Amino acid sequence: MVDKPQLNPETGSGLDDLRNAFEGRLLFSEADMEPFLIDWRRRYQGSALAVAQPASVDDVVKVVRWCVKNDFYIVPQGGNTGMSGAATPDNGERNIVLSLARINQVRAVDTVNNTITVDAGCTLAQVRQAAEQAGRLFPLSLPSEGSCTIGGNLSTNAGGCQVLRYGNARELCLGLEVVTAAGELWQGLRGLRKDNTGYDLRDLYIGSEGTLGVITAATLKLYPQPAARMTALATVDSPHAALELLGLAQQQLSASLTAFELISDVCLELVAEHFPQCPKPFEDASPYYVLLECSDAESQAHATECFEALLFEASDKGLISDAIIADSIARSNSLWALRENISEAQAAAGKNIKHDISVPISAIGDFVVQTEKQLLSQFPGVRMVVFGHLGDGNLHYNVSPAADLSGAEHADAFVGLQSQINKVTHDAVAAVNGSISAEHGLGVLRRDEAARYKSPVELALMRSVKQALDPHGRMNPGKVLPD
Amino acid sequence: MKILVAVKRVLDYNVKARVNSEGTGIDLANVKMSMNPFDEIAVEEALRIKEAGKADEVIAVSMGVSQSQETIRTALAMGADRGILVETDAELQPLAVAKLLAAIAAREEPGLVIVGKQAIDDDSNQTGQMFAALMDWPQATFASSVEIDGEQMKISREVDGGMESLSMSLPALITTDLRLNEPRYAKLPNIMKAKKKPLDVMSPEDLEVDISSRLKTLKVEEPEQRKAGEIVGSVAELVDKLKNEAKVI
Repeated sequence: MVDKPQLNPETGSGLDDLRNAFEGRLLFSEADMEPFLIDWRRRYQGSALAVAQPASVDDVVKVVRWCVKNDFYIVPQGGNTGMSGAATPDNGERNIVLSLARINQVRAVDTVNNTITVDAGCTLAQVRQAAEQAGRLFPLSLPSEGSCTIGGNLSTNAGGCQVLRYGNARELCLGLEVVTAAGELWQGLRGLRKDNTGYDLRDLYIGSEGTLGVITAATLKLYPQPAARMTALATVDSPHAALELLGLAQQQLSASLTAFELISDVCLELVAEHFPQCPKPFEDASPYYVLLECSDAESQAHATECFEALLFEASDKGLISDAIIADSIARSNSLWALRENISEAQAAAGKNIKHDISVPISAIGDFVVQTEKQLLSQFPGVRMVVFGHLGDGNLHYNVSPAADLSGAEHADAFVGLQSQINKVTHDAVAAVNGSISAEHGLGVLRRDEAARYKSPVELALMRSVKQALDPHGRMNPGKVLPD
Repeated sequence: MKILVAVKRVLDYNVKARVNSEGTGIDLANVKMSMNPFDEIAVEEALRIKEAGKADEVIAVSMGVSQSQETIRTALAMGADRGILVETDAELQPLAVAKLLAAIAAREEPGLVIVGKQAIDDDSNQTGQMFAALMDWPQATFASSVEIDGEQMKISREVDGGMESLSMSLPALITTDLRLNEPRYAKLPNIMKAKKKPLDVMSPEDLEVDISSRLKTLKVEEPEQRKAGEIVGSVAELVDKLKNEAKVI
């Protein structure tokens, strides 16, 4: 092993070799590095010798080669908005954080091929805006889109609220440019819908959370801008009724159904309590609500007609008891605000135990009812904060302490229950062949838990992929696969 | 008492307006159109007065292209009882709208007319005042609270430096300010009912009103783009640039 350079954090001396190796910025003082060494939810804190901010792809190659030569570990980072701690270095002494944020140009828009090619450090909002200026839609949309980067979206295979119609990040990506763990540049920026020429390297790098290489650019799919969008919030009695509504909506709206979100009443109570500008929209509470969105290719009038027809029929069939249709963008935004403020409202209400699960859509109804029963019998009084992308079979199934035990003095006792509550929930997920991480990824948060549910065969295959693409374990150590 | 409410179909508040390629106006092809937000407040206020038992009927009136029916349906779904559309493809300026509204008021004989203080597309802020003048009615513009007591009405309105209270007799005209109320959502059962509510369509000729424009738009163009900022290296450079480039010191 090469000796670790002795660093003087005041002057950066000792890092001269790395600093001279590339043109971009190098941060090494404690204050400059601080935001890169902790995740945004402030749960994971790591250490690094320096943070490299390359100014070009060539720079990325140079930094990676420097790390190879001097035996350093590389932790790629985008907007640092991840949910599972995958972008935060561990506590090792030989980490270099590789921040892609300064490589952020839109390289090309092709409105005939319907593709956009962008640097990995472009924010999601920037890509959506560039697409819109070209009269197209880039459909990936996340609450963090102002900060999160495309590189991060792809390496975590981000989901969001429109997966139902357009798929997750993987399905929106046609080509990648990657700097490998050995510091080679793989030029795979192909804008092809069809390309059966052997193993799909692109799909290996997508979702690998920076453990196989560094994504530096991507060619992404574009779609036509819809002529009109409609949003509605409907009241349903149970997840089962919501599933029936989903079936009806898919049948009637077909591809124009772009979002179908389930929200439990507990969620809206929390939002109303912590966001006074978002009161509960119905006078009478309902156990569950569904937020639907349709994107119509024809016109506002057509969208209104189809959407109203769907809701009238759902009402006739007794699936929904009431609904609001947003007739302006401001109204539509306030319905979405109800959904998007749930996470923050929950954080403000105190400690809770989160699950990001997916199960076959047909199993959701029973899963919700039975898991609730099981958790309540073992942990009396706990409250289920259930919401999520019902149309994708993905629920954020979060558990809050009983109302009389929600004070800060009980927080530690509740967090102590985490592994037991995780186990009950995840066992129920595994029993219906579901996944314990639908869209947030493994990082370090779910790494060991995931390994528990994967078969030895699956884990061994994953390890051989890692071994083949990153034989020295240089890329993002400690993430995705347990040691 | 009947209440007449005027509702205008405008470019949605959240849509970024773009000048059309001919430079003659705003591009309205395939963009979201909604009810003027001040008019939503007018509808809400009319409904609250009716729910308080102080009015029997709320009539939503719109003027313009055929799609303005959608805007009237929105008002009906909120709870208005019936709608009237004066349909025309011609450009309608505030005086023409005020005259059409006056012609309808002459037919319907409402005790109260409520309109938004302005429409967010042309920001004229004229229709209500012109209407009151044509009818020779008392008017309360930019109302932030309304109290009706028999044939009398008390209004508060915000003015520079405080609140002004007005008292006037009905029939009268109100234009709404943003603070007046928070408009309700249209709920499913009411949206269904709204489908069956009557909506009369008539033309300016039916009302014998001359809608010809008094003003002519010569040209519409985007404001000049803001220039990108610049990071200066030193105070001296800043002073130099302020003096010699920006010429402000």
